[in-house]
Amino acid sequence: MTASLIVREHGTRRAPGRPRTGSGRLTARRQRPGLWFALPAAALLLVFFAYPLATSLLQSFFSTKGGESTFVGLDQYARLFRDPLVLKSLGTALLILVVQVPIMIALAVGLAYILNQAWVRFRSGFRLIAFLPAITTLVAYSVVFRVMMTTDGGALNQILGVFGAAPIDWLNNEWWARVAVIASITWRWTGYNMVIILAGLQAIPAELYEAARIDGAGRWQTFWHIVVPQLRPVLIFTIVTSTIGALQLFDENFILTGGGPNNATLTPVLYLYKIGFQQFDFGYADAIAWMLVVLTAIIAVIQFRILREKP
Amino acid sequence: MTRRGITFAAMVAAGALALTGCAFGGTGNGTTTTLKPSADATGKITIWSWDVAATALKRLAKEYEANHKGTTIDVVDIGYDNAYDKISVGLQAGTGLPDMITLETDHDQGYLSQFPTGFADLTPVFGSMKADFDPFKWDAGSDKDGRLRMAPWDSGTVGMFYRTDYFSQAGIDPASIKTWDDLVSAGETIKAKLGKTLLTADLSAGGPFSMLLQQQGQGYFNADGEITVNTPEAVAVMTLLKTMNRKGLIKNAKGWDASVTSAKDGDSAVTPEAVWWIGTLEGEAPELSGKYAVRDLPLFDDQSAPTSNNGGSGLAIPTQAKNPDLAAAFMKFVLADDANQASMMKNEGLFPAFLPALKSDFFQQPDPYFGGQKVYQFFGDLTPKIPSITFTSDQSAASDAITNAVGAAVLGNTDPKKALDDAAQQIATATGRKIAG
Amino acid sequence: MATELIVTGRAHRRGIPSRARREPLLRRIVLRSPVYLVLVIASILSLIPFAWMVIASTHKTSDLFVTPLPILPGGEFWQNLGRLQESVGFGQVMLNSVLVAVLYTVFSSIISVMCGYGLATYRFRGRGVLMGIILVTMMIPMQVLLVPLFQMMASAGWIDSYQALIIPFLANAFGIFLMRQGFLDFPTTLIEAARIDGASELRTFYRIVLPVARPQIAALIIYTFISQWNSFIWPLLMLNSEDKYTIPVALNTMIGLSRVDYSGLMLGSLLATLPLFILFLVFQKQFVAGLLGGAVKG
Repeated sequence: MTASLIVREHGTRRAPGRPRTGSGRLTARRQRPGLWFALPAAALLLVFFAYPLATSLLQSFFSTKGGESTFVGLDQYARLFRDPLVLKSLGTALLILVVQVPIMIALAVGLAYILNQAWVRFRSGFRLIAFLPAITTLVAYSVVFRVMMTTDGGALNQILGVFGAAPIDWLNNEWWARVAVIASITWRWTGYNMVIILAGLQAIPAELYEAARIDGAGRWQTFWHIVVPQLRPVLIFTIVTSTIGALQLFDENFILTGGGPNNATLTPVLYLYKIGFQQFDFGYADAIAWMLVVLTAIIAVIQFRILREKP
Repeated sequence: MTRRGITFAAMVAAGALALTGCAFGGTGNGTTTTLKPSADATGKITIWSWDVAATALKRLAKEYEANHKGTTIDVVDIGYDNAYDKISVGLQAGTGLPDMITLETDHDQGYLSQFPTGFADLTPVFGSMKADFDPFKWDAGSDKDGRLRMAPWDSGTVGMFYRTDYFSQAGIDPASIKTWDDLVSAGETIKAKLGKTLLTADLSAGGPFSMLLQQQGQGYFNADGEITVNTPEAVAVMTLLKTMNRKGLIKNAKGWDASVTSAKDGDSAVTPEAVWWIGTLEGEAPELSGKYAVRDLPLFDDQSAPTSNNGGSGLAIPTQAKNPDLAAAFMKFVLADDANQASMMKNEGLFPAFLPALKSDFFQQPDPYFGGQKVYQFFGDLTPKIPSITFTSDQSAASDAITNAVGAAVLGNTDPKKALDDAAQQIATATGRKIAG
Repeated sequence: MATELIVTGRAHRRGIPSRARREPLLRRIVLRSPVYLVLVIASILSLIPFAWMVIASTHKTSDLFVTPLPILPGGEFWQNLGRLQESVGFGQVMLNSVLVAVLYTVFSSIISVMCGYGLATYRFRGRGVLMGIILVTMMIPMQVLLVPLFQMMASAGWIDSYQALIIPFLANAFGIFLMRQGFLDFPTTLIEAARIDGASELRTFYRIVLPVARPQIAALIIYTFISQWNSFIWPLLMLNSEDKYTIPVALNTMIGLSRVDYSGLMLGSLLATLPLFILFLVFQKQFVAGLLGGAVKG
């Protein structure tokens, strides 16, 4: 039997999280098998994550110095407000969120749209090339970027030189360093998101386009009124996951810039890593982490609300 | 059970687990055992190291095993880049560490103060040999009671490597340079006549700031644990760097690879760097053989030393170790033996912190790369002159602040004193320490 | 008007229908070349770092940092390969990675599929709490969980073992979430029909649901395999024997204190990409269709 998926046009509004069982309201007893299906995962999470999650929360009420831990209540959380670096790192994370994510999604949508044209050849080839960056090991690609962005003689500046542009001090200049981090994230994940969006695009049946053409809609109108609405669930998925990724950014800036220069590319997770693994005040690191969890949850909820309610 | 009941029970269970199981702050480390290093120790030990250090240990381990029946020494290369994550987690968790670990000297104090019970007292092993080791390294590896816990291995004695051809072309006699100011004038001449910069530095990583500060006998903290990053000596260093950059005398090269490229490209006339730079030059830039020589660092004033330290590592035995006695015996074999230390210089480029080793033949040879200069002997003579400085557990926080300050003052427009005052304030806020003076 | 659209695994008409059949050749070239140009530029940007990796893999490290850069592959491939094998035992390391990734993928996928199905199809007590825990697990930075998890592994005596790499993370939050999304729109008519026929829930799941959900599961498998293959920090902390290292940990040892063996490192990284490359090629169709199903939910 051919694999088939039924896609409902999203015009119908549904409360989040409820299964779309059109008919067949299962009784409470009937619901119980769900518990059994979910049990292995739940048990694993309870055994392996309950303790670390609880420990990290508990430890955020302690302060450690010189090998001694003392209970300080909510002081580590209060410290969040006194610490200028917390604000700075949050600012950077938000900057990346607001700049990098839209650029990346726009690029992904654009490229997917282009690739979706029926007459394009080598579609699979392009798709594969686009996906490659996402499957490289972090160690490798960060090293490559760091080397390529070397100010003197780095590959990027050599290429710029070919076009007659002056070399850029990628990693030593505050603003260029941010650009460098954003560029490397975009390089890595655009293709991945593009593949997802392309799949969404390819699910839009030809009939819809035909209908729009018959109605006399131009290319742009078709895009806004047919394509984007059909893409919404896919877009939500990529936007939300990219958002979480941006707020939790660690790998790229850790290896490319170490958070510098002058903390220009410091993000909350990199900061808490330094606090925990270099200054050994894990309590404060935990406080930063939980603050981030709350913030991420709030933003995710807001995004869900906004994106779902767009007409 | 109601949903709320389940949630509540889960949280209570988790909380109970957390309270009973966790050991905040690494207090779960092993009890203090007294080491008994003896040639008769047997069994198995595991050692963590990286890079050429691991190569050296593996080589010496084989020798030791051959001469001591019943011993197995397993050296594991854990890589350098994230080694400290592994070590930190092991110390924090109170478990998971091997019998011996490698540590860079500038990490010593940080670990010693955060994990006072984490490392074994090495006095039974090396106690009587204090005078035989690089004094700076010995102090850096000792705890606040003066007990050695991280044994010195290799030194990062600093000298000034310079291009003899550039100096002669510019008509300057290198021996005439006594102070940093002299060097700056020479740099201007060289730049005017040859178009070369004076030195290459990684200004976005702080450049040679800490190196030059140590030359004046100072670190980021003083013996009382107060912050000393904005003292007159520190301001002098920052002003010097700023002046040099202003005059176009510094080539800014980020990272190791860029420094190597810069040397290969022949950008600068001098490179103040540690002894291991010899290995790098000879390995990466063999084509420049015969064009280099080494001399001591220029001075700031009568009080400054002609040398400093950059890098170098040591070995330590965690209190968690399962076979500390064999570890101690092997450590002594590696570190306090003339022949072994000399072999590590020869094979792996590790310059001994064990001073008697510096008298052996290998170190007396002239090096053709440096025009026949006896470079190793030269560095050997400098090593005992390295000034000791205080590190404390907040070294990395201070380092970060200084890196920012150098960026602001040297690459940017901030006044050196202001940049350093800001850095001092930043460190004070982050660590709760007082600023000295 | 709520339209129900059925998408089959092999869409018979992809993308915007072309009006181009009646357009003259020249016009077609003029209109289409910008598009191809954009695609080619994007591909080049995507591939530049790989180009450098290929160049680096075939040269000596010391030749890589001169100006101007070498732009053609050199001849050092075999020497670099030999050094890679000699310094980190890369052959064994690749096998280790394969073993761990396969084991993890198989068991984790089973758990994710089951849990996702349970969460999506049934409304049972504690469902909300479970979803909450899964979301928190996704949102909390892993760095703060490392030390407690490490302690747990140490107490269990699992340090330096593959159990430690696999078992704690078998419940993969993202995988569960992906599967849940995928099952939310599953045609309940099929399930109902099976129930009426008297099949048990488990049998229904196994016989009816799984085959239909194959594309999503393929997507999950690929995602899970990739994330375990590239996993770095946890194996670094857990593994203490060089012959047990997985690829990222082994490659990391090539980043030395001052020297980086770039050629070896890049060669190793390229080789590490090959299995993923092949996996993606083989599963491409499934992957695309699966992601589509999983993502096209509210």
